[in-house]
Amino acid sequence: QSFKLLGFLDVKNVPCARESVLYGSLGALVMGLGHFLATSRVRRSCDVAVGSYICTMLGYWFYCRYNLAQQRIRQRMLKEGMKNRILFEGSYLDPEKKQTGNERSDS
Amino acid sequence: MANHSQLTFQDASSPVMEELMGFHDHALMVALSICSLVLYLLTLMLTEKLTSNTVNAQAIELVWTILPAMVLIMLALPSLRILYMMDEINEPDLTLKAIGHQWYWSYEYTDLKDLTFDSYMIPTTDLPLGHFRLLEVDHRVVVPMSSSIRVIVTADDVLHSWAVPSLGVKTDAIPGRLNQTSFLASRPGVFYGQCSEICGANHSFMPIVVESTPLANFESWSTLMSSQ
Repeated sequence: QSFKLLGFLDVKNVPCARESVLYGSLGALVMGLGHFLATSRVRRSCDVAVGSYICTMLGYWFYCRYNLAQQRIRQRMLKEGMKNRILFEGSYLDPEKKQTGNERSDS
Repeated sequence: MANHSQLTFQDASSPVMEELMGFHDHALMVALSICSLVLYLLTLMLTEKLTSNTVNAQAIELVWTILPAMVLIMLALPSLRILYMMDEINEPDLTLKAIGHQWYWSYEYTDLKDLTFDSYMIPTTDLPLGHFRLLEVDHRVVVPMSSSIRVIVTADDVLHSWAVPSLGVKTDAIPGRLNQTSFLASRPGVFYGQCSEICGANHSFMPIVVESTPLANFESWSTLMSSQ
């Protein structure tokens, strides 16, 4: 099942989308309400709220996607490392064997 | 393959398709922001008077020049990154030719002692139970997984297009021209596609099926096919 915001953004299945929209809404509420409490100007407060919504949503989106990309790179490196470890364990290409060999020669 | 009434992408089976899906999500988020702003402005206009005494609009002019430029930069930079990534030159492990005909595909694995075969759609009347209608073929394109595959696409008669959505591949097959594309199937599986350029009466009935297997299985298959 998917819930599509404005009919096209699947917030359930797209990573970071749900948090972006929620943080954006929270930011809009806080900034809009804060501005209204400070100035009592309804129209301008609504403008501030919408602007904060967009800025907070996009800001969190970039931050979250950047972290997700880094995590994916780490996952890929880990997967590659595990695969190489299984392949080379015990053979002359095993990096751990080389290290223990160096330690023995040093001592 | 796509489920019925599926509007979104199929699961990515290659690194390029994963990147494309990520970019699509990013573009949709930017689109959501713009649509939210436009919706808000439309609702504001419902309470605005229709006359205006504005003569000097330097600030708004600046805003609606800078903001769209920033939006375009936000979209262009990841897009260009993926575009150049797709065009990276790498050493392919296997080259195969896909030739479009009316109305079937033929494949040539010239790296492997001239292995060539035709790939026709299995008609619905001959389809075994549980198989996919209008998508199954008699001979699949078998490739080794996690290997860079180069596909040279051309056509024998009219325009066709060799497309496999889950691998992020779509290349036009033009008579008299060789178009090159490459992909890497990250995981074993069967990936379906369909001809993507109108080519006559049976344009919808010339599917493409790519089967990605471990190398040992691929070698067995190629030996079997060569001997037939």
